Amino acid sequence: MLRWLGVFERRVLIVTGKGGTGRSAVSAALAIKAARQGQRVLAVAMTDVLGLALHLGVPQLEYKPVQTRPGVWALAIDRTAALDEYIHLQLHLPRAAPLKPVARTFSALADTVPGIRDAVTIGKICWEAWSDEWDLIIADGPPLGQIDSYLRAPEAIAALVPSGRVQEQAAAMEELLADPNESGLIVTTLAEELPTLETNENLALFDERQSCQVAEVMVNGLLAELGAEVPLGQGPLRDAAVLHQQLHEGQQKWLSELPQGIQLPYLFGMLTAPEVAARLSEELP
Amino acid sequence: MTRTILVAGSGGVGKTTLSAALGVAAARSGAKTLVLTVDPARRLADALGMEQLGNVPTETNQEGLSAAMLDASAAWDALVDRHAPPDVAERLHASPYFRAIADRFPAGQSYAACEQMADHIDERFWDVVVVDTPPAEGGIDFFLAPGRVRRLVGGRLLRWLTGASLPGRRRLYSFTARPALRMADAIVGGPLLEEVAEFLLDLRALYDGVTRRARQIERQLKRAKTLVVTTAHPSPLAEATRFFTELPDAAGKPTSVAFNRALPPDWAAASSTDSGPLAENLKRWASESQRQLDAREAFGAQHRVEPAVIPWVAEAPTSLSQLGQLVRSAQGLDLEALGAVLAHSPGPP
Repeated sequence: MLRWLGVFERRVLIVTGKGGTGRSAVSAALAIKAARQGQRVLAVAMTDVLGLALHLGVPQLEYKPVQTRPGVWALAIDRTAALDEYIHLQLHLPRAAPLKPVARTFSALADTVPGIRDAVTIGKICWEAWSDEWDLIIADGPPLGQIDSYLRAPEAIAALVPSGRVQEQAAAMEELLADPNESGLIVTTLAEELPTLETNENLALFDERQSCQVAEVMVNGLLAELGAEVPLGQGPLRDAAVLHQQLHEGQQKWLSELPQGIQLPYLFGMLTAPEVAARLSEELP
Repeated sequence: MTRTILVAGSGGVGKTTLSAALGVAAARSGAKTLVLTVDPARRLADALGMEQLGNVPTETNQEGLSAAMLDASAAWDALVDRHAPPDVAERLHASPYFRAIADRFPAGQSYAACEQMADHIDERFWDVVVVDTPPAEGGIDFFLAPGRVRRLVGGRLLRWLTGASLPGRRRLYSFTARPALRMADAIVGGPLLEEVAEFLLDLRALYDGVTRRARQIERQLKRAKTLVVTTAHPSPLAEATRFFTELPDAAGKPTSVAFNRALPPDWAAASSTDSGPLAENLKRWASESQRQLDAREAFGAQHRVEPAVIPWVAEAPTSLSQLGQLVRSAQGLDLEALGAVLAHSPGPP
């Protein structure tokens, strides 16, 4: 409990993890949990809209935040809209400027120079954090393989641009993300071979880069101990016990390779994504 | 003609293992088979008897089966060497923007994987090529990549920026774009955007080559058979649905869907009169089995497919015989429809 209070005291949490480890489900569950504790939460779909929308139980997410339940608002980052917002609001472009051609130029560049795209995506999260409208922002982030380039985008932009407002903004973004009291990564994983190896590799990388600190590692889909001997005989009672036992043993082996994290149970019989998110939020310690 | 099987789906559903298993089945039916894979687990490479997987097809322990990696990182360089004149290629290789694209353009890695696949198919050496498609963006990225890359190098915005035709190097951007670039540069405080525009102009030199190649790849994707792999969990299922509803015309409809990690259907109705942990355990797995049945039925009805079912095995296959067993134990997996085996080929003994 105390541990969570600490995690939720940050302003920005970015959820990342290997594909298939439950990023969207965990993002939604965290949002629900924080809202229950009285926080005003903004959930953000950074790269993939579908997963977060599904788990929050809404058909679609847009750039404008919509309330999905008491205390939880959600939006999906649309690169074009974010660029537009950046040019108009963040850069304070003079009125007389030829807005449309400039916006088109930026847009062409953002499609082509990925640093800009990543910077605007991560920038949107920072602007929302600075707006003081939210107590907590939970971003359903890109997979592990891509998160580093997003986190380093402000730094890359700052290095490319000689001076001026863009550079100041980039530096402020870098600072917000790197401050462990303000921002943190939530890394989702599974106790299986590839997720474990990839998680450990990336944890070392985050440690080295210091661009954003890891707040928690969350191990998803764990089976409890069977709690009995596998019965003799034949039939489903035995077969289910054998499968359970084997899966559990495999998980324990990989779990020992992972750092101490929050352990989340395998959810049996869940039919829909909102069900998964709701159950998961109750399972959070 | 080479038969291509694309194994698609979101991350973590068992695509790589199933691709290898399909490869083993095809090879055992007498077809010269190549499995192209991304990111194989160590144990799978061991199962195939391979020390290391490289970009060049290498024979596995299974007679008639070779395997290679789809390595996306080197492929952008190859793309430039293939499609750009030497002087432009040299500038592109040296450009920091190009490095950024090669590393991070979202469709780029998938497109690079597409090109490698196409190269192997074009060799006309293989009877069957099984492609374990990269899981980016839920896996659908691979199918959209050729179109996206065509638009990147020939896109309207890029054309607007650099002019309709390919001008000489000194006349960098179109008359209309120039004032906007100046303005944009004033905002960022330097000549960044002009530099980028120069880079984009170089990139446009790839247009003809990439457009032609991307179209060829789209034709190959259309001819290929696609097997969508999923589990009964909501997230992978939602991604699997996209393959049936959102694939572009260039990519043809999936041939079939396979539900991996399936429990025996008779567990759904199983119960035990005992009390205690074992009975509780059975109850949980029974509810899971019922959910899987419901999910398969709903998916089948919605997309008018008969889902194949692959049993849940606790240990990932670690040997050729276990890989073979995986395909044999699958229910409703039509290897002929996928082109993995031919109708009259001598089946596995």
